[in-house]
Amino acid sequence: MSRHVSKIGDPSPLKRLDEPQISKKIRLEIEVDENMSDNSPDRNRRANFSNVNGVNRNLNIHSVKPTTKKLIIKNFKSEPKLPDDYNETTWKKLSSAVIAIQQSKPNEYLLEELYQAVGNMCSHKMASELYKNLFELIDAHVRSNIEKFKTETMDRLLFLKKMNDTWQSHCNQMIMIRGIFLCLDRTYVLQNPNISSIWDMGLDLFRKYFMLHTLVQTRVVEGLLMLIEQERQGDKVDRILLKSLLRMLTDLQIYNKAFEQKFLQSTERLYAAEGQRLMQELEVPEFLAHVDKRIHEENERVLHYLDSSTKYQLIHTVEKQLLSEHINNILQKGLDNLLEENRLHDLSLLYQLFSRVKNGLQELCHAFNAFIKKQGRTIVIDPEKDKTMVQELLDFKDAMDNIVASCFKKNEMFSNSLKEAFEHFINQRTNKPAELIAKFVDSKLRAGNKEATEEELERLLDKIMVLFRFIHGKDVFEAFYKKDLAKRLLVGKSASVDAEKSMLSKLKQECGGGFTSKLEGMFKDMELSKDINVAFKQHLNINTPELMPLDMTVNILTMGYWPTYLPMDVTLPAQMVKFQDIFKEFYLSKHNGRKLQWQPTLGHCVLKARFKAGQKELVVSLFQTLVILLFNESDEHGFEYIKAATNIEDGELRRTLQSLACGKARVLNKIPKGREIEDNDKFKFNNDFVNKLFRIKINQIQMKETTEEQKATEERVFQDRQYQIDAAIVRIMKMRKTLSHNLLISELLGQLKFPVKPSDLKKRIESLIDRDYMERDKDNSNQYNYVA
Amino acid sequence: MKLTIKNWTGVATWRWVANDDNCGICRMPFDGCCPDCKLPGDDCPLVWGQCSHCFHMHCIVKWLQSQPVNQQCPMCRQGWKFNNK
Ligand SMILES: [Zn+2]
Ligand SMILES: [Zn+2]
Ligand SMILES: [Zn+2]
Repeated sequence: MSRHVSKIGDPSPLKRLDEPQISKKIRLEIEVDENMSDNSPDRNRRANFSNVNGVNRNLNIHSVKPTTKKLIIKNFKSEPKLPDDYNETTWKKLSSAVIAIQQSKPNEYLLEELYQAVGNMCSHKMASELYKNLFELIDAHVRSNIEKFKTETMDRLLFLKKMNDTWQSHCNQMIMIRGIFLCLDRTYVLQNPNISSIWDMGLDLFRKYFMLHTLVQTRVVEGLLMLIEQERQGDKVDRILLKSLLRMLTDLQIYNKAFEQKFLQSTERLYAAEGQRLMQELEVPEFLAHVDKRIHEENERVLHYLDSSTKYQLIHTVEKQLLSEHINNILQKGLDNLLEENRLHDLSLLYQLFSRVKNGLQELCHAFNAFIKKQGRTIVIDPEKDKTMVQELLDFKDAMDNIVASCFKKNEMFSNSLKEAFEHFINQRTNKPAELIAKFVDSKLRAGNKEATEEELERLLDKIMVLFRFIHGKDVFEAFYKKDLAKRLLVGKSASVDAEKSMLSKLKQECGGGFTSKLEGMFKDMELSKDINVAFKQHLNINTPELMPLDMTVNILTMGYWPTYLPMDVTLPAQMVKFQDIFKEFYLSKHNGRKLQWQPTLGHCVLKARFKAGQKELVVSLFQTLVILLFNESDEHGFEYIKAATNIEDGELRRTLQSLACGKARVLNKIPKGREIEDNDKFKFNNDFVNKLFRIKINQIQMKETTEEQKATEERVFQDRQYQIDAAIVRIMKMRKTLSHNLLISELLGQLKFPVKPSDLKKRIESLIDRDYMERDKDNSNQYNYVA
Repeated sequence: MKLTIKNWTGVATWRWVANDDNCGICRMPFDGCCPDCKLPGDDCPLVWGQCSHCFHMHCIVKWLQSQPVNQQCPMCRQGWKFNNK
């Protein structure tokens, strides 16, 4: 029987495993019952019964139908006569057996005999008295058992152990007693709905005295709380004892009232204090690890000894005191560090813990967003960091993406917030990020960039596109991109046509064909120019075979596609002028109604140069060419002479001379030496020029791009915006004919793809009214009419 | 000659020879294209009348189609004749 005892009152389904150990007799009874109630609709009864293992307080005897009772009585057809003192003598036997059980002494009667005696009494209407006698016997025993504890002054643990022993014995005894008096349960208890089963009677009595002696109850509960607190402080405690006593409280149906409430209160007190203290003492990662450990421990507690009904409130209490109360503190104190130091493990834990509490993830997401905005702003706002801005943005985006993917479970709330934050901070600085992203792409697409394979480049461009997507002033990007693309195309500096085309199609996909049509036009011009040059070479061979040969190629640009270049008049050697004229004549003969403008700033040449040490090829700009060619006439020229002979603009000429005489490859010597070009300087052809390369590129010294050229590009963007606003207003008015000011503004804001202020729009409207494209309505000054 | 040009890549830009900046019909600049087109240049050429006025080809063709009789230059009201220079 001892194996049963340890399972008493255990509500878990595991108990069913013990079913085969029910004594054969009980099993038999159950089956008889089942057969007899075959007609009963109450088919769940057997399930109930086996569920409680035949020893449980929940034994639902009263639900059995009266028909069953009749049938049971019919089973005993012949009623033997009993002696008159049968009641008295039999009870003597039975009571001595019960007392023996209660005192753990050997029983002098056979169980079979006792069992039979109970059966006889039941069938001879002595059940009521028998039940009453048994009740008194048990009542007396339980009362004295519990009253013993009233005066106990022993140590708490010993007290608990003793109480547990008493409880275990009670259960054991009640099982044995019920075995003997089973017939009473089966007949008398069944027939009287107000009478408890024997097992329940035992529990009722135990509960009655346990509750009656508050001191005993309090000592038990406080003892339990003490053990749990010791365990929470890290001590090893007797979990079996805890479990058994807590099951006792559950079986007595006082778990909630007597224990759970106090337990949850003490839990709350403990963790409230612990949360406050550790929030001060620990760094956030340690704090989180501690919280995680606590939650784990409390779950273990539920698993090992607490009633499972406590789980929700217990875990909730821990979460509330250790997390909910400290959400803001944790985020303020620790999140930025974790993100900055890319502490993926801690961030995962943070996410996992915060997902347990109400609003935890919202708050985390909010703080994450704020961090990105703050950190991102420092990347874009400082002009000192412009050189590294784009790479830093890419790295920052990678890091944040990685955190969302690997720590925040790809939660969409976070990835959307990440995007919103990037879009926000990247536009905190007008125009510059767009410009630098364009330049970054240029640096990657330019020839000589051998850092990356095609695939790596492709992946990088995709990442760039993500940044580009956040930019509001996409036209600023386009302007700078176009300027750089022009350079790459015209100087033949593009690393890969495939990469160029790929970038173009990405931009097209992102912004539509309108955005890229001009860029595509630039590529088209380059294609057309190739054809024109082939035709031109044939033309030269046929028409002017006597001309001194000069390998000339011309790129013909359509004005509208390319950046605007300032025309610059320079003096070319006669041979070059001749070729220009022949080409121009040839081109215009093929294209009616056009005029050509030479752009000397964009031209470049390869020169053959003979030095003492041998022949070299110099890759130079047209301006550099014009200067160098002068040294065929004489080995030495003064600045003023060169200026007059080439007609190159003063600043441009000084930069050109610097590049030839002060750079890395000095084909001219400046007299006197020095970095700045003065009006009285003389320049001498450097016959002693040496270089390990055969073909030498002499870099142009760039105009200070940061100021003039960049301002010019920005100015062009600005003008283009004005033009686009005008065109949009005319388009809308042409379609609507008449429109109120507000509606026109809102349609415009919907159509224009760059940031505009309503006040700017108003200025453009005024300008269009002045130019008679539209007029103010005569009756309503807030309304415009289209002028056809 | 110790210095000679091996090859020379020149660059030139072209634009229409027009007597105005904008098309008199669509009012768009000649450096751009007519409202129906996306790209300026060969895709949206200019044409000249014998009166010397010029328009986007697409614009004047549309205009002429809307004038079944008396096809006139929209600028000077002279009879329209293409000038094939
Ligand atoms: Zn037009
Ligand atoms: Zn057109
Ligand atoms: Zn005309």
